Amino acid sequence: MANIRQITAIQSSAVLASTIIGVGVLALPLFAVKAADAGAPLVTLLGMALGYIGLYLITLLGIRFPNQSIVQYSEDIIGRWLAWVGSVAMIAFFAVITALGAREFGEVVVTSVLKNTPLEVTVVVMLALATISSRVNVTTFAYIHNFYFPLLLGPGFLIVALSMKNADMINLQPVWGNDPSGMVPGILTVAALFQGSFVMTLVIPAMRRPDRALQASFWGIFIAGSLYVSIVVAAVGVFGSEEIKHLLWPTLELAKATTLPANVLERLDAAFLAVWVTAVFTTLLSTNYLTIRMTTELFRLKDHNLFATFLLPVIFVMALIPKNIFQMYAVIERVGRIGLAITIAYPGLLFVVALIRKKRGKRPNENAMEPAR
Amino acid sequence: MSMRSWGKSKGDRSQKAKQELSSPILERLAEMKVSGRLDDTIEAIEEAMQDDFDFVVRRFKAFGRFPAALLFLTSMTDQNAINQELMKPLMHKSSDLADAEIDSGQLHDMILNETLYHSNVGTECQLDVLVQGILRGESVLVVNELNTSFIVRTCHVDRRAIDQPATEQVIRGPREGFIEMLETNISLIRYRLQTPELKVRSMTIGRRSKSLVAVCFMEGVANPELLEEVERRLSVIDIDAVLDSGYLEQFIEDNHYSPFPQVQYTERPDKVAANLLEGRIAILVSGSPLALIVPAVFNQFYQTVEDYTERFLLMSAIRVARFIALVFSLVFPALYVSIISFNPELIPTEFAVAVAGGRAGVPFPAVIEVLIIEISMEVLREATIRLPQQVGGALSIVGVLVVGQAAVAAGFASPITVVIIALTTIGSFATPAYNAALALRLLRFPLIVMAGIFGLYGVMIGFILIANHLLSLKSFGVPYLAPLVPGSFQGMKDLVVRAPLSWMSERPSFLYPKDKARLSDAAMEEMKKQPHNALDPMNLNDQPKES
Amino acid sequence: MKTRWNRLVKLAVPMLFLLPLMTGCWDRLEIEDRAVVLGVSIDKAGSNTGSDDVTNNQGTRERLSRDSIRVAVQIALPGRIPLGPGEGGGGTTNSQQTVWVIDVVGYSLDDAFMRLQQQVSSRIFFGHLRVIIMSEEIAKSGIDNVNDYFRRNSEVRRMAWLMIAKGEAMPLLKAAPKLERIPTLYLMSTLDEGINMGKFPQDYIGMFWSNASKKGQEGYLPYVALKKEQNVEIMGLAYFKGAHMMGKTKPLQIGGYMAIKGINPAGYRVFVRLSGSSRMVMTSTTHRDTKWKAAIRDGHPHFMITIVLEVNVEEKLDMEFNLHDEGVLREIQDVESKTATKMFGRLIRQTQEAGSDIFGFGEYIRAKKPGYWNAKVKTKEQWQEQYKEMTFDIKTFVNVRRVGMEAR
Repeated sequence: MANIRQITAIQSSAVLASTIIGVGVLALPLFAVKAADAGAPLVTLLGMALGYIGLYLITLLGIRFPNQSIVQYSEDIIGRWLAWVGSVAMIAFFAVITALGAREFGEVVVTSVLKNTPLEVTVVVMLALATISSRVNVTTFAYIHNFYFPLLLGPGFLIVALSMKNADMINLQPVWGNDPSGMVPGILTVAALFQGSFVMTLVIPAMRRPDRALQASFWGIFIAGSLYVSIVVAAVGVFGSEEIKHLLWPTLELAKATTLPANVLERLDAAFLAVWVTAVFTTLLSTNYLTIRMTTELFRLKDHNLFATFLLPVIFVMALIPKNIFQMYAVIERVGRIGLAITIAYPGLLFVVALIRKKRGKRPNENAMEPAR
Repeated sequence: MSMRSWGKSKGDRSQKAKQELSSPILERLAEMKVSGRLDDTIEAIEEAMQDDFDFVVRRFKAFGRFPAALLFLTSMTDQNAINQELMKPLMHKSSDLADAEIDSGQLHDMILNETLYHSNVGTECQLDVLVQGILRGESVLVVNELNTSFIVRTCHVDRRAIDQPATEQVIRGPREGFIEMLETNISLIRYRLQTPELKVRSMTIGRRSKSLVAVCFMEGVANPELLEEVERRLSVIDIDAVLDSGYLEQFIEDNHYSPFPQVQYTERPDKVAANLLEGRIAILVSGSPLALIVPAVFNQFYQTVEDYTERFLLMSAIRVARFIALVFSLVFPALYVSIISFNPELIPTEFAVAVAGGRAGVPFPAVIEVLIIEISMEVLREATIRLPQQVGGALSIVGVLVVGQAAVAAGFASPITVVIIALTTIGSFATPAYNAALALRLLRFPLIVMAGIFGLYGVMIGFILIANHLLSLKSFGVPYLAPLVPGSFQGMKDLVVRAPLSWMSERPSFLYPKDKARLSDAAMEEMKKQPHNALDPMNLNDQPKES
Repeated sequence: MKTRWNRLVKLAVPMLFLLPLMTGCWDRLEIEDRAVVLGVSIDKAGSNTGSDDVTNNQGTRERLSRDSIRVAVQIALPGRIPLGPGEGGGGTTNSQQTVWVIDVVGYSLDDAFMRLQQQVSSRIFFGHLRVIIMSEEIAKSGIDNVNDYFRRNSEVRRMAWLMIAKGEAMPLLKAAPKLERIPTLYLMSTLDEGINMGKFPQDYIGMFWSNASKKGQEGYLPYVALKKEQNVEIMGLAYFKGAHMMGKTKPLQIGGYMAIKGINPAGYRVFVRLSGSSRMVMTSTTHRDTKWKAAIRDGHPHFMITIVLEVNVEEKLDMEFNLHDEGVLREIQDVESKTATKMFGRLIRQTQEAGSDIFGFGEYIRAKKPGYWNAKVKTKEQWQEQYKEMTFDIKTFVNVRRVGMEAR
């Protein structure tokens, strides 16, 4: 009885936003500044716009097929075998994303806070947390995101607000940057941070009113995007673009330079990182859940819990493959590019074919009581 | 586990258990009926009740002619009532009856309709029912040549007076608390809700205790689905005794392994009434002064009745304080451990250096130190509850002051640790619901251990685990963190702050009440108007002046 | 029964899996077991490095052609600093006893700290490092090593102070001022209070780094000196070009710098000598308001700087004249704006000669005239050259607002 369409539009925005906001934000200013120094906020904004295009396509598809997930309707649209290839690509991609997310955060934690703790431990703890929490139905999944959502925005905007008083507007000018030649790859890199929005394909079949998915997805990406943009603005404003190029995780450095009023806490980096565990957790939960759910649907498994347990060691091993932090970021960048093809081009293809072949799913109220997966 | 499978497995087991738990004496009597012969009946009942010193068989001749007997337990009945209302009219020799021919049918009607001066009389012919009646404190009148016997409710058990609720004190609000007698408790509720919609359904649970369980609800407010589920869950309970409502709680809750209470208990009738009006269901058991309220959500556990009787601004502030205390009691020691042992760079330099000085002589790491002090605090707390009241006060002072001071002086704990633990313990007492406070207090220990391993990172992991558990918990299908988590704006008004009553014109939506409105629109309109200044001199001018 | 066993196994397997995690407390290090470093000083050590090689293999040692440095740290002694507001006569505790100053010689910072760690039992902890002092000599020979090491170390806060000492740096660490229990905190509060009183701009190590990395700006640091009573004087700004210190200003020029940048609050006081031999007043600046305007003239950047100062008269050295006399206040304003303009101009020219644009004129050009910047400047080195060619006009307006409680 918990599987009836229960998720509201607000909840799905929360799911989207808290999925998108993740470990990527720690290095985001560096990516953006590398692309177009002082134009970093613009790069972020454009990256967000590109990410939104992908989300928009997915949402349109979701509204067209309100009872099915992407694995199911892709079979209807382009046929079983082609769809199988696409679905396997998506599953593999999200498994890799989960692994890289856990690795990146483990790397941050081991570098800055828990220096003697083995990397494997921090990675496996995050992955285990995500796996254990993946054993829930979509409604609880949405509740989890809904609950943590304010916990992500609060500290993020707090850091921004507290550090803005040290910001210098000169650092942010000119808005398009002095050397915008790296703009296009930068936009692609930033857009890759928005790939978590793919989780919308899971949410729409469980939404109470799928027709409001478009609004939900706009607000979700708007909230996450505005946090991203304001963090980039704050980081560039405080440090200046050249200094950011010296820093691996400018957002963390921003927290380090921030003092709570009246010196209650003299620096916020460790506290921020601790709170950011929730952000990383929600992201890992979503990508892990996506992987598991899509696999269950693809192979028509009955129980996704068992599969979740089997997936954990696979993801864990993948997380440990990159040898050092620079290689890891190189891999992340490359995977992000591939991901753009999967999360934007593939849905785009599906949408066009669906338009041409005039495929359309059932209305949601026709079988609203059917358990939505 | 879904609720459906929960019910099924329970049902299967109860079938098998029936044979094992039943009382053999009653089973033997179940086949027997009251025969026309008085002696047979008395003999059968006496055999069942042998070795009971307070069992009395009073033989007499009804109306001076018919052999009869009154059977009852002296300990459970009102002797005076038996004498005045049963014996006296029955033994009265009426002159016009002396010679009249009375057959058995007439005799039955005569006794029932003309003789027994008692309002609550029933007739019964099953012997086991009669015995059960006697055990409940009823008197059984058996008359020769009659195939049915009379059960008269003469029950009287000494009860304590209605007292102030001991565990839920308020400054402003009613002073009555439930007692152990079910009838009294129901009267306390009925007195507050004098409406025909207040329904009390009863059932008997407990094979040997035969406890009467009352399910109270407001018809037209409480959701019928909820009522059905509550009754179903209650009806499958098959246990030999229900000595307190706590037994029932453990059978009807959704998740048996969770540390968090999923049923609220209270000894305040006004709280029950308020919850009934919100669309919840109350369960009362004879012998227990605590009523159960279902479904329960987390925010109920830090709310008190007083929140609603005092001005909203003040009580909102106090509720926020209570909420902070609740969070503190969970995470404070863990935060302390992780800052001291992992991230001392977070606190101001002067303080950090001073803390290091305070800890310089302590031989243990902060985790161990906190765990030791924390455990001794729990021991102390438990000892204070168990000790007789006269000694308890002395112990708590000795414990807190002397032991704490001595521990610091002996270099066993740093002064700051003692401060932290004391604050945490006091914080946990600020939570009104004892069982919820207990859950959080217990969860503190794993959090401290996590803090000892991973620092702030570990505390956060622990917090996420707890939060995820809370998010997946449900009480009768209501998400445990409602109304926070399936976000309901109406519900948010009564979450951390308590909005004015005029804002909360609807019952909580997560209970799906049938009648949503709590406040009439007219009253809302009236509150929005400018208040009429009745004693404004401007208005009083046209009245004639005195003298 | 079988399902129950299943459940048990399901629970036990992850538990067994997690158990090894629980046994390790890798990073737990009690606060009293850390050697909390509050201050670091860096001096030139000459060529003798001592014989205790801790970090060098035979091979690498010869290749290190650097001069060695003497690094001293100030470590807080946990037992000596009482908790709370002093017990009994806590005020008499000599601050020399609350901290421990140790010095080592090494080739680089990390080398020195490694040698130090070899001598100190507890782990050195930089989380509360508040003050880093370098000798002028070190600063002139380049501080790339300092920048790199402290930026790389995650424990070091960006809100620490980096300062340049006149002469040797180590005596500053050893000094025991009377005001604070912990000497380093005195040094720190000298500068922090300086910010509040308008005597010094916010220039934490993080800001120095940011400024130093910007293409169109250079870093500057406080220049301090130890005085007779073990107190510390802020002697001026040490301005950098890249990682090398190029020169220093006078204390009053800090005020000039803050005025050109328009940093508030303002706190410097100046004499104003009016016409006539002894007609002197002392004024204190309360507020500064600055506008920059950039233009490209003859292929060179040109700045128009307008500075508005709000001042109060604090002292009058001559009873001969009254402040409310006609024109006196105006005269004060005129004289002060003239001298101020001269002083500001001198300061900018001084830095121009050094090629050290601590004001960020280059950044302004980069932000507002990106066309010019991209065509002509582009790199930090280019700007360091072009800065020398930059021209500017300064207009200073002074407004006397208040004269205190005295009517004359």
